[in-house]
Amino acid sequence: MTRRKWWQSALLYAVVIFWCFITLFPFYWLFTTSLKQPLHISRGPKYVPFVDYQPTLEHWQYLFREQGETTIRHFRNSFIAASGSTILAVLIGSMAGYGLSRFRYSWRIPRWKNNDIAFWIISQRFLPPALFVVPFLMLYSALGLVDTHIGLIIVYTMFNIPFAVWIMRDFFNTLPTDLEESALVDGATRWQAFVRIVLPLSAPGLVSVAIFSFVFSWNEFLYALMLTNFQAITMPVLIAAQNNTRGIQWWFISALTLTAVAPVVIVGLLLERFITRGLVAGAIKG
Amino acid sequence: MEATTSRPAHVEQSEGSTREDRIMRRVFLSPAIIVLLLLSIFPLLWSLGISFTNIQRGATPDQSAVAATTEGSGAALPGLGFEVTLRNFARMPQDQRLLTAAANTLFYVFAGVIIQYVLGFGLALVLNQEFFARNVVRVIFLMPMMMTPVAAAYSGRMLFDSTLSPLAQLFRTISTVLGLERPIVVPWLTSGTVAPWTIVLIDSWQWTPFVTLILLSGLQAIPDEIYEAARVDGANALQILRKITFPLLLPLSATVILIRGLEIFKIIDVVVVATGGGPGSATESLTMYIFKTALTFGNYSYAAAISFVLLVLVIIFATVFLVIVRRLSPQAGS
Repeated sequence: MTRRKWWQSALLYAVVIFWCFITLFPFYWLFTTSLKQPLHISRGPKYVPFVDYQPTLEHWQYLFREQGETTIRHFRNSFIAASGSTILAVLIGSMAGYGLSRFRYSWRIPRWKNNDIAFWIISQRFLPPALFVVPFLMLYSALGLVDTHIGLIIVYTMFNIPFAVWIMRDFFNTLPTDLEESALVDGATRWQAFVRIVLPLSAPGLVSVAIFSFVFSWNEFLYALMLTNFQAITMPVLIAAQNNTRGIQWWFISALTLTAVAPVVIVGLLLERFITRGLVAGAIKG
Repeated sequence: MEATTSRPAHVEQSEGSTREDRIMRRVFLSPAIIVLLLLSIFPLLWSLGISFTNIQRGATPDQSAVAATTEGSGAALPGLGFEVTLRNFARMPQDQRLLTAAANTLFYVFAGVIIQYVLGFGLALVLNQEFFARNVVRVIFLMPMMMTPVAAAYSGRMLFDSTLSPLAQLFRTISTVLGLERPIVVPWLTSGTVAPWTIVLIDSWQWTPFVTLILLSGLQAIPDEIYEAARVDGANALQILRKITFPLLLPLSATVILIRGLEIFKIIDVVVVATGGGPGSATESLTMYIFKTALTFGNYSYAAAISFVLLVLVIIFATVFLVIVRRLSPQAGS
């Protein structure tokens, strides 16, 4: 490697710092806005708390005391929908991934083998969700699933399964089979071998799939907006609604937005390794 | 197939399969297949059927049958309670709002993909260098991707406000420095020509890091020897980029562009929160128009019909793109 010249280093750091600034500034702005009084907003931008203006925790108190019950209910809705569908997607996805990795399928109608099936499954992920808007509306109102947690869990599971299958199949393909085979020889059933031996070894893959499913469901907007109207409303829908009704009450919505964003961003920061791996696996094989 | 052929032990196992394995084989795959058939294929076909009818929300079967017979076109099927018609597709060319939404969606896809790819590639080249706190920077890169798009759009709404945002103040300062009589005010969210760009910017803020991280993993897989050999042969940095790095990253680039393109086709949340589709319907996306047609106007059959227009656009995009990539990449041809 040739050594960089000073100006090359300077340019490198300038680019990195500039992009980090671009990335972090909206987070900073959300946070500082949530501490502002209305005047600090309507009199043009104020930048630094304590220097530019006197910060206040009023809006956070409002969000978690006066509005506390509502806030927590919506937060819980998001959590239930996201974790429910994550559990289902991880379970169903790893089963199908295991099947596609370890058995040989050959369907008669259509004449598909393992790779065709896997490709069909992943292709579902790229269908625009808008395609299902009308049938789901009709189906859900007929079945009484509108505005229920179960309803959201079902849709999100459907959206999460393709990616889960894809990642897990990929993961199982790299996993040596000796251990499960010796277990089978020792008289374990397939299912026992899968649950007791294969799944524990696949923890990194399972974690990746779980993060992606959770983040997707937590952030999803279209179906949450469409299939909930009061009880089961999730955080993104709540933010969008407040954005419409509260106009320029930015201080309140900023606090709310940070509350909605915090869990996924924290999960992302803590489990960065798994995310990057999942992204790369998904893209390279996809 | 690849899984089994690469491991002879398996082939043997599944071919001389025990009865248990023949059953388990189905048990493992069936749940996923059933979910997809029930929740994806069945609704898809149903929706296609609806798009050829005049079904509306709330209208009882009788009412729509009456409407069908009075309007006189199409075939009102007795007993079905709705009419089978091509009217939904026939009215599309005249639906100005639909055309705008389609044009906007295509704009978001193309502008977004180009901006994100160019920026993402540049940033990946930068991050591929050794520098201080590189891992911290990678973590920072993940943050926008994790963020709820609604939240990103909301931050965008604050930061692109044309009077109260830091950006607006920056433009005011520039105007003062330049000694302009009237300060420059950019109507980021309120002008039909600027707002689509603002939406692309918000989406790019979120997803450029995705492109970067994927391309970075590709860059790190290129062995140093290739670069060194090129340098020994006297290639300069630009030649290395054009003749080595870029071609080697081409397959990965294609995938990442395809993924981003297909994702942007789905855009709705950013638009709803940042501009609400406005001014007028100048920033509305297809998904948003479908949503409004179904939920606000209650016109189920027309919404279903439009959703198939979206599907056709997605399929054309993916096919044309894959054909171009196949032509461009020399390795894939032979």
